[in-house]
Amino acid sequence: MEVTMDPLFLAWSYFRRRKLQQCSDICTKILQDSPYDQAAWSLKTRALTEMVYIDEIEVDQEGIAEMMLDESSIAQVARPGTSLRLPGTSQGGGPTPAVRPMTQSGRPITGFVRPSTQSGRPGTMEQAIKTPRTASTARPVTSASGRFIRLGTASMLTNPDGPFINLSRLNLAKYSQKPNLSRTLFEFIFHHENDVKNALDLAAQATEHAQFKDWWWKVQLGKCYYRLGLYREAEKQFRSALNHQEVVDTFLYLAKVYQRMDQPITALNLFKQGLDHFPGEVTLLTGIARIHEEMNNISSATEYYKDVLKQDNTHVEAIACIGSNHFYTDQPEIALRFYRRLLQMGVYNCQLYNNLGLCCFYAQQYDMTLSSFERALALVANDEEQADVWYNIGHVAVGIGDLTLAYQCFKLALAFNNDHAEAYNNLAVLELRKGRIEQSKAFLQTAASLAPHMYEPHFNLSILSEKIGDLQSSYTAAQKSEDSFPEHVDTQQLLKQLRQHFATL
Amino acid sequence: MSSVESGGDGGKWLDAHYDPVAGLYTFSSCVDLADLSGDGESRLVVGDLGSGSSGMKLKVYRGTALMSESTLLDLPAGLVAFFMDLHEPRIPAVAVASGPCIYVYKNLRPYFKFTLPSLEVNTLEQDVWQQVREGQIDPLTLKEMLESIRKKADIPLSVRSLRFLSLETDDMDEFVQLHKQQPIRRQTVITCIGTLKKSTADEDGVSCLVIGTESSDVYVLDPEAFIILAKMSLPAAPTMMDVTGQFDVEFRITVACRNGNIYILRRESDKPKYCVELPAHPVGLVRVGKNVVVGCTDESLQGFTQKGKKLWKAVLPAPITTMAAMDLPTRGFQAVLVGLANCEVQLYRDKNLLSTIKTPDVVTSICFGRYGREDGTLIMTTKGGGLMVKILKRTAAFDDRDNAPGPPLAQSVRLNVPKKTKLYVDQTLRERESGLAMHRAFQMDLSRLRLAAAKAYVKALESSLTPMSSSLTEPLKMNAVVQGLGPSFKLTLNVQNTAACRPVMNLAISFLYDESLYRMRNPYMRIPLLVPGLVYPVETFVECTSDKGISDIIKVFVLHEGKSSPLLTAHINMPVSEGLTLN
Repeated sequence: MEVTMDPLFLAWSYFRRRKLQQCSDICTKILQDSPYDQAAWSLKTRALTEMVYIDEIEVDQEGIAEMMLDESSIAQVARPGTSLRLPGTSQGGGPTPAVRPMTQSGRPITGFVRPSTQSGRPGTMEQAIKTPRTASTARPVTSASGRFIRLGTASMLTNPDGPFINLSRLNLAKYSQKPNLSRTLFEFIFHHENDVKNALDLAAQATEHAQFKDWWWKVQLGKCYYRLGLYREAEKQFRSALNHQEVVDTFLYLAKVYQRMDQPITALNLFKQGLDHFPGEVTLLTGIARIHEEMNNISSATEYYKDVLKQDNTHVEAIACIGSNHFYTDQPEIALRFYRRLLQMGVYNCQLYNNLGLCCFYAQQYDMTLSSFERALALVANDEEQADVWYNIGHVAVGIGDLTLAYQCFKLALAFNNDHAEAYNNLAVLELRKGRIEQSKAFLQTAASLAPHMYEPHFNLSILSEKIGDLQSSYTAAQKSEDSFPEHVDTQQLLKQLRQHFATL
Repeated sequence: MSSVESGGDGGKWLDAHYDPVAGLYTFSSCVDLADLSGDGESRLVVGDLGSGSSGMKLKVYRGTALMSESTLLDLPAGLVAFFMDLHEPRIPAVAVASGPCIYVYKNLRPYFKFTLPSLEVNTLEQDVWQQVREGQIDPLTLKEMLESIRKKADIPLSVRSLRFLSLETDDMDEFVQLHKQQPIRRQTVITCIGTLKKSTADEDGVSCLVIGTESSDVYVLDPEAFIILAKMSLPAAPTMMDVTGQFDVEFRITVACRNGNIYILRRESDKPKYCVELPAHPVGLVRVGKNVVVGCTDESLQGFTQKGKKLWKAVLPAPITTMAAMDLPTRGFQAVLVGLANCEVQLYRDKNLLSTIKTPDVVTSICFGRYGREDGTLIMTTKGGGLMVKILKRTAAFDDRDNAPGPPLAQSVRLNVPKKTKLYVDQTLRERESGLAMHRAFQMDLSRLRLAAAKAYVKALESSLTPMSSSLTEPLKMNAVVQGLGPSFKLTLNVQNTAACRPVMNLAISFLYDESLYRMRNPYMRIPLLVPGLVYPVETFVECTSDKGISDIIKVFVLHEGKSSPLLTAHINMPVSEGLTLN
């Protein structure tokens, strides 16, 4: 006779092996036989939560509402170095935009793309609601963001015969009295059902039941408040939780709140305070580095990324950021080392080969340059990546003087990504060399409208207009160029020349 | 007045009063200081320009408070306080120049209005209007005749004729009916005003008014009878003037004109004696001692002698907004105050910068002199309508710093050139050793890549994947912008004809999309004629019909009518629709 395993134990085992669907199926069966089995119920909620769980700390999407209608900011014009809002000039002696490209928000391009590195705060509503690039980048979302919608619908799809727990009929007060059930239930409501209001209710009652002494519930309350945009309340809860128990997660959540409230200095202090309790904690160090990077202080960011690497020498973000920093500070051979290290660690994607190709080219290792690009082309996952690879090949082609190839490459970049402003700009320069002024002008205008944060199209347009004698357009374009890159010497000289021209009789 | 120590300018000035919302909009030519009631206390008289179309006022300040204000009929062009008679107590009158008139106020009450003599009217024009009055010609003929007169005649047309010429055909009749009975007059307007002592150089001697007009004339008026004592003509319309000397003895009128020249007029002749040709248009004219300091639009300050000889030139950090003289006879100190567009007021003695005052807003008018009972008072009004009063400290000393030439600052800044690493040296070694192999590998890869690029390029061209077409007949370019949060999006396609001079016709746009996800309001559109160089925005609305939070690509094709292969294609990555969760 076959001995069957206890179904609950089997489900538990599945859960630990992360076979969540099987685990959930077994729990459903158990619950059909005995609807009041608390253990099975709790396990099922956990399994369902795990299916859609994402790290709450790393997700950071600022909605249009938060960006444009923010009334909590005190100073519209903050002092330099105290706000994430105004990118300011580089304080740490980092490379200028002439060397290191900028993102839309006026920060140097990072070596590691994560949510919120691309977007930044748009200046106007117009800018906020249009999609200059694509849905995947550079576009803020509303507070009920796409990701959360998808999570919600995912849970609907997995349960064709209705939701597992009907929240509206749940007696939250009863569950909040049972500490062994309430936590899993909370996580289920928060992550799986994505119903922050009910989650908040449950957390509030549970923390009351725990006589306000349980740090875990306070953190959860803080999370709910954060999701609802009540940052001051969230701050209070996290602070209170930290008084009970110092946990790395709480530090990270609190720092996130401060960043959202545009208080980077407070966040930095908090991270340092956290480091006193947890010396060498990688996530805290990374947090510091990220803030420095966002505040355009690249050299200190690199220092902290180096600290991260001392603790964890396989930290992909740190390696990538240090690598890109070396690349843009004229040391491509060292950047090459870092990117090769990433390759050894098993990161095997298009972007990496793209970077390797560029580093090889600028470090004069010509034999490996083009083969890297070929591999990158073989590894492309979507059209945008393909566009980026062709764009970089175009750069190499310009470098070796093969302008026909460069022209083809930039055009290909545009074919794959219609909004590639850099390619438009470079193509315009090539067209100008061919003497086709009208086309060149049209491309530059397109580039400028696609990426108003870039100074190059404005500057090029300014030079072009000046050459054909349209001084007024030249002046306005030069002014726009100055707005996006005030230290650019050539723009300054051009402006000076134009002003002199206007002033003389 | 409360006195507060100020720090920015080396503690030379006391901040006596600052009212950022005083609502004073004026320029230096409309500000003066005068003892209007004869009690030894100076008042500030300001011709306020209001909003430029209404609210023009003559305002008088005493201390920090507005003492009186009276409405002006027209925009003031200049304002001066002057003694017009020898009566005791010595109370000056205020002359406000606006339009063709000078309004003289005494004891702050209107006293006299002087109107400039009207100019000679073109006889042809007069005849034409005469015919109109008699009903001989209709408005259209009138228009033709006036236009021919305008082209040929030496004497310009009157304001009425010019206004008539600018009218639409429908309004002409009414205009003619309204005005044909009145005689034609040609009136000029005053551009600047100054005062000139009549016979004595005393502080409270009787002064003549000197006015410059749009008709390029300068008049000197008798203060009592208001008759024209002298008339001088200039080659261009004057904009600013400075007057020195006495009318009966010898005088000198320095006039900056709209043609960018400065003319110096003297007693004997009615034509300018000297002429200074400036490199840029003048924006400020101030006399310091015997020299003239001119601020120009090319951000420079230049000094000239009485005879128009250039002495020096100083380059300023920002464009000039206004200038005024700073004259402290008790200390024998004379300098020039220059208001700059970067919110600074700089004090220059000759070409040397003595001190800088930082202001909270851009200063539009400056006046230095005796205010209240304080001799050295600086009064400034700002662009935002603020009023600022500063008092020069008795202990303040201005010392000339001759900015000695030396090496420029940038010369000592070290460039941040990164060191060449050991790794780099190793790599160069590798390059040296196996240069040949590297070159071969590179060339082979390059040929392969060229082939790959050409293949991809041809493929893109054949299927017109690129958002620009480079064909010789229809060089087009398109880019697409999606706006909105969903479920409704606005799709704007910017189509541009990049040909040099040939228009493109008969084009159409169509879309390819997943019909289960999107609904398009008009999936086929005709494009109008494309004129080269202009951007044509073609708009349509897309509705997302799915509530699953997924997005797709919409393909846009620009086609030539009658041909099936597209001229160009654009792929639009639609954003996720976020609107549905809101309801």
